[in-house]
Amino acid sequence: MKPFEYHSPRSLPEACALLAEIGADARILAGGTDVLVEMRKPGSSSSKAVVDITRISSLKGIEESGDEIVIRPLTTHAEILRSKIVEQYAPLLKSAVAGIGSPQIRNRGTVGGNIMNAAACADTVPPLIALNAKIKLLSSRGDRTVELSEFFLKPYATVAQRDEILVEIRFPKLPSSARSSFIKLGRRNALSIARLSVAAIMVKTEAGVVNDARIVTGAAFPKWQRVPEAEHVLLGQKPSRTLFDEAGNKVSEALISFTGRRWSTEYKEPVIAVLVRRALEACK
Amino acid sequence: MKSVFIRTTINGKTYELDVRPNMTLLDFLRDELGLTGTKRGCEVGECGACTVLMNGQAVNSCLILVPQIDGQEILTVEGLAEGEKLHPLQESFLDHDAVHCGFCTPGMLMSAKDLLDHTPSPSEEETRAAISGNLCRCSGYQQIVDAIRETEDVRSQKSK
Repeated sequence: MKPFEYHSPRSLPEACALLAEIGADARILAGGTDVLVEMRKPGSSSSKAVVDITRISSLKGIEESGDEIVIRPLTTHAEILRSKIVEQYAPLLKSAVAGIGSPQIRNRGTVGGNIMNAAACADTVPPLIALNAKIKLLSSRGDRTVELSEFFLKPYATVAQRDEILVEIRFPKLPSSARSSFIKLGRRNALSIARLSVAAIMVKTEAGVVNDARIVTGAAFPKWQRVPEAEHVLLGQKPSRTLFDEAGNKVSEALISFTGRRWSTEYKEPVIAVLVRRALEACK
Repeated sequence: MKSVFIRTTINGKTYELDVRPNMTLLDFLRDELGLTGTKRGCEVGECGACTVLMNGQAVNSCLILVPQIDGQEILTVEGLAEGEKLHPLQESFLDHDAVHCGFCTPGMLMSAKDLLDHTPSPSEEETRAAISGNLCRCSGYQQIVDAIRETEDVRSQKSK
């Protein structure tokens, strides 16, 4: 690993001041499961400084805040997996982190790192977008709140500036009538990178009619997004296999209209439709 | 590059020293402390050969910078036995022929220790999930799973 100056600020003001001072040459270190791999790649761009934010205790934890859930970015995947709050109000997020990496990775990797690294296969992102999550970014210039669905530009690129730290992830609690799911297609169960994934949320009225449907795919589109064409198929209807198939086909169509036909389309076109149907079936 | 002062406990022994920050915990254990029981495999967190416990949790030592262990407690495979007396997990690995080439064994033992410390009577599925971050290149998984599940302490828990 190339030499660098190591900093471990104990507070957010200290971290922001450091990042303002060092500028674009600083690299923020949280769980390290992506950053340390990247830093050791041959020919990787060197960083003059590493700002290890793991000592900032205000960046850890999960809490309820009225009708919302707040997850601090240094919360590890293992902590999300054990959280009763997540289990009750955002079970699809729990399903998603259960499949991230391995026990060792889940003990170190953080939800904030998963978002900021912005890999197309980041498993926490489709559920969080389905949950209508907002994130707060902080720098010495102040803070701003961004809709997570607006945060990503393309894989590994976001609207965050180099000196901004993710300090909060916030989303509304799912109502008790909501059903949700996350399905990931990988080459094996452990340590697999999502080839395709689907997060789904469905809320029905007492009469059994869908009044809220959210479908977000991972690793499919150039960036993560809900698929309104598919969601509209479900709204105002009673859930059925035919309807789920139709929603799946809409996602498939949307995928092709975005990416065009390429070598992987022959596979992804039918497979994403089936994954969407299965994700919706799991919401019944 | 400025060195960083750390105070840490490794296998029950306290260390206070200046370290180069661009070193992983894995390199520190092997090259600086001579604790070569922890193996260097893929160095990208996929094989689990470098697994150690940090504050009781299994982690990949190849994905931790050495300054990050300041104030933390590390346990490596060398810290399992008490003098000449092997840890019950180590005894069980021997009893079950769970050691083939042996390269994955230290990491397997540490993942297994994390499992048994938190789940005294793991199911087969829980056991397989617990070692899902550890690759055995000899593919002797069944013996390893059996060894973990039939470790002495686990058996006494079951009979209670």
